[in-house]
Amino acid sequence: MAEQGKFKCLRCGHEYQDKFTPGVPQERSCPKCGSNSVRRIEEKSNIKKTS
Amino acid sequence: MMDVGRHPRIKLLAYSEIEHVSGFIGNFNVKVRKKSRYVDEDECTACGDCVVDCPVSVPDEYQQGLSSRKAIYIQLPQAVPSAYLIDMQNCLGNNPIACGKCQDACEKKCINFDMQDEILNLEVGTIVVATGMSVYDPTEMDEFGYRSYENVITSMEFERLICAGGPADGHFVRPTDHTRPKKIAFIQCVGSRSENRGNPYCSNICCMNTIKDTLLLKDHYPDTESKVFYIDIRAFGKGFEDMFKRSKEKGVQYIRGIPGDVWEDPQTKSLFLAVEDTTSGKVEVHEAEMVVLSVGLEPRKDMKSLQQMLTLSSTSDGFLLESHPKLKPVDAPTRGIFYAGCVEAPKDVKDSVTQASAAAARASIILNAGRVKIEAITAMINTDLCNYCGRCAKVCPYHAITEADRKLGIYPKVIQAACAGCGTCGAECPTDAITMRHFTDRQIMAQVDSILETDNMNKIVAFACNWCSYAGGDLAGTSRLQYPTNVRLIRTMCSGRVDEKFVLHALRKGAPLVLVSGCHFADCHYINAVTWTQRRIERLWNKLERLGIRPERLQLEWISAAEGQKFSRVMKELEEMRKKVTEQEVKETMAILEKEDEKEKARKLKQQEVLQTA
Repeated sequence: MAEQGKFKCLRCGHEYQDKFTPGVPQERSCPKCGSNSVRRIEEKSNIKKTS
Repeated sequence: MMDVGRHPRIKLLAYSEIEHVSGFIGNFNVKVRKKSRYVDEDECTACGDCVVDCPVSVPDEYQQGLSSRKAIYIQLPQAVPSAYLIDMQNCLGNNPIACGKCQDACEKKCINFDMQDEILNLEVGTIVVATGMSVYDPTEMDEFGYRSYENVITSMEFERLICAGGPADGHFVRPTDHTRPKKIAFIQCVGSRSENRGNPYCSNICCMNTIKDTLLLKDHYPDTESKVFYIDIRAFGKGFEDMFKRSKEKGVQYIRGIPGDVWEDPQTKSLFLAVEDTTSGKVEVHEAEMVVLSVGLEPRKDMKSLQQMLTLSSTSDGFLLESHPKLKPVDAPTRGIFYAGCVEAPKDVKDSVTQASAAAARASIILNAGRVKIEAITAMINTDLCNYCGRCAKVCPYHAITEADRKLGIYPKVIQAACAGCGTCGAECPTDAITMRHFTDRQIMAQVDSILETDNMNKIVAFACNWCSYAGGDLAGTSRLQYPTNVRLIRTMCSGRVDEKFVLHALRKGAPLVLVSGCHFADCHYINAVTWTQRRIERLWNKLERLGIRPERLQLEWISAAEGQKFSRVMKELEEMRKKVTEQEVKETMAILEKEDEKEKARKLKQQEVLQTA
C-alpha cells in the first residue's frame, strides 16, 4: 500500500511530500532540480525525551 | 499453424500453462500443466455432433461476445489441434447423470469427464516467449459512449463483424437493428498516447488497422461514408503511405481531432460526435450510424507472474525489456530466453514474424553449438569466508546462486552459465566471501587510492555503470560537451557492484564528494540490480548521518547512455557542490571513518577468535 512520505533532495535541499510503497525501491527525481539523490526523511517526533 | 501441429519435431502443447521454470541456459526445466479438455484430442474428428446437443449457451469470447457458443466448443475455427474441449465452469456438470448429452452424442466416445490435468516436466535448452498482448478496455472512457450505446464498438468487435466467419457471416450490420450502417466514424488513439487514461505510448498498429478497415468497407460497400478522427496518422511502414493515400482517394475523410463527446438519437440510434477540427479550429458535429473505437494494445494482465517465473524485466509501460534495444533486440536479459511479438512491445504482423524468425535463429545458434561462451566477469564464492547467510542468493537478479544450508553445511554455489556479472552479490555479501572476476574489491579500492593519492580536495570520485552512465560520459565526450575534468570515473559493470565499503573508503581517503551512477530503473541491464543500488545508497545515507557526516557528500544519479547532456550537467552541479566542501570537513570525515575502520577490524578479529575457539 502506498503511503505519503517526506523526501529531501540532497542536491538542492528541496523538501517535498510524495507517495511511496515501503520496501519497494522506486526511481525518484527531485521536482525542483531533477536530481536522483532524493532521500526519504523520517518525520521527527515532537515528543521530547525527559531525563 | 497446421504445419507446426504436423511437424515431427515440434511438440505442440495447446490448452496448457507454464507453472514453473527453473535452471539456466541449455538446462531449463519447465513444469507445464496440460489442462484437461475432457475430450480425447487424438480421437476427436471435430464432427460437431456434441455441440448440437449441448444445452448450454454462453458468450463466445473469440467473437467478442457478439455471438454465443456452447459449453463444448472449439476456441476458434483455425485452432490446432482441431478438437473440442469442455468449458467446465459452464458445463452443467461432469456427472453424466446431470447432463452428459455430449457424451451420448459422440459416436467415437471421445468425451471423458474423468480426465485429469497432466503435469509435464520438460527439459529445454532455450525458451522463446511469445505470449502476446491484451487489448485496451475502453469502458473507462465514457465520453465515447462505449458503455451506453450499442452502436459504439471497438476495432476488435469490428473485425469480428466484418469477418466471413464472424457472428453476422460477414454481413456488416450494426448491433441495434441489424441493418448495414452507411456512415461510420473511427476514433483513433483510444487508450493510447494519453497521460491521464489508458497508456502513454503509441500502440503502433491502430492507424494502419483503421486504414485497412476503411479500405475493406469501401471494397465491400462502396457507398459507405467513413470518417476517421485522429491526432496524427502514423503510416511509416513499407507501402503504408500508399495505403493511406489510397484510402483518402477512395473518399475516406480524415478529420484531425478527437471527439470530446458522443451522444445517441434514441429514435434512430444514430450517433453524433462533437469534435474540434484542429486544422480549421472549428467545433463541428458529425453524424454516424456506427462508431468504431480504435483501441490500443496493452501488456497481458498475467505479465508479472511470467516475469517472475523467467526472471525477466519490464519497461515502464509493462512490456518485457530486451537485453539491448539495438544490438540484442530479441534477447531477454536472462541468457537463453528470447522474445517474439507483442510481448516485447506493440507491433504488427510483419514485425512479429520478423522478430519470431530472429528469435528462432538466435535460439538455434545456441542449440546447435551445444555450448555457450560467457564473459569471464562472473562471481566466485570463497567458502572459507562464507557464513551461509544466503544474502547472495536473495539479491541475485538471475537466480544464478543456489541456496545455502547452514544445517547441512551446503555453501551457496554460483551457476557460471547463469551469472551475468552484475556484482550485486559481491556488494551485498557481509563477509566479503564473493569475488567478482575483473572487478575485485582490491582492484576497485586501488583505483580509489590512486585517484585520491594527490590533490584529493579537488577530486570527485564517480562510480559509473558500464552500460549507461559510463556510456553517457562517452557520449558527452564525443558530443564535445564540456564537463569538469576533475571528475574521476571508476567503471563497474553495474551500479549494483558498488559496495558500501568502496564509498566509505573513498571518503576515508579524503574524497570531498562521491557519486554512484547507474541506469534508470527501466533500463537496468541486469533485470533489477539497480534497485539494490538504491537500497544500499539509502542505507549509506543513514549511516553517514549517524556518523556525523553530511549525507549530501554521497550523490546518486541515474544516467542513460543517451543522456550525454545530463551527464555533463550533473558533473557541473557536483563540481559546484565539491567547491563548498571544506578541508576541515574532509579531515573530520577521515578521522571519523578511520576510527570506524579500526572498530570494524577489532570486531572482525574478535569474530575470528570466537570462530577459532568454537
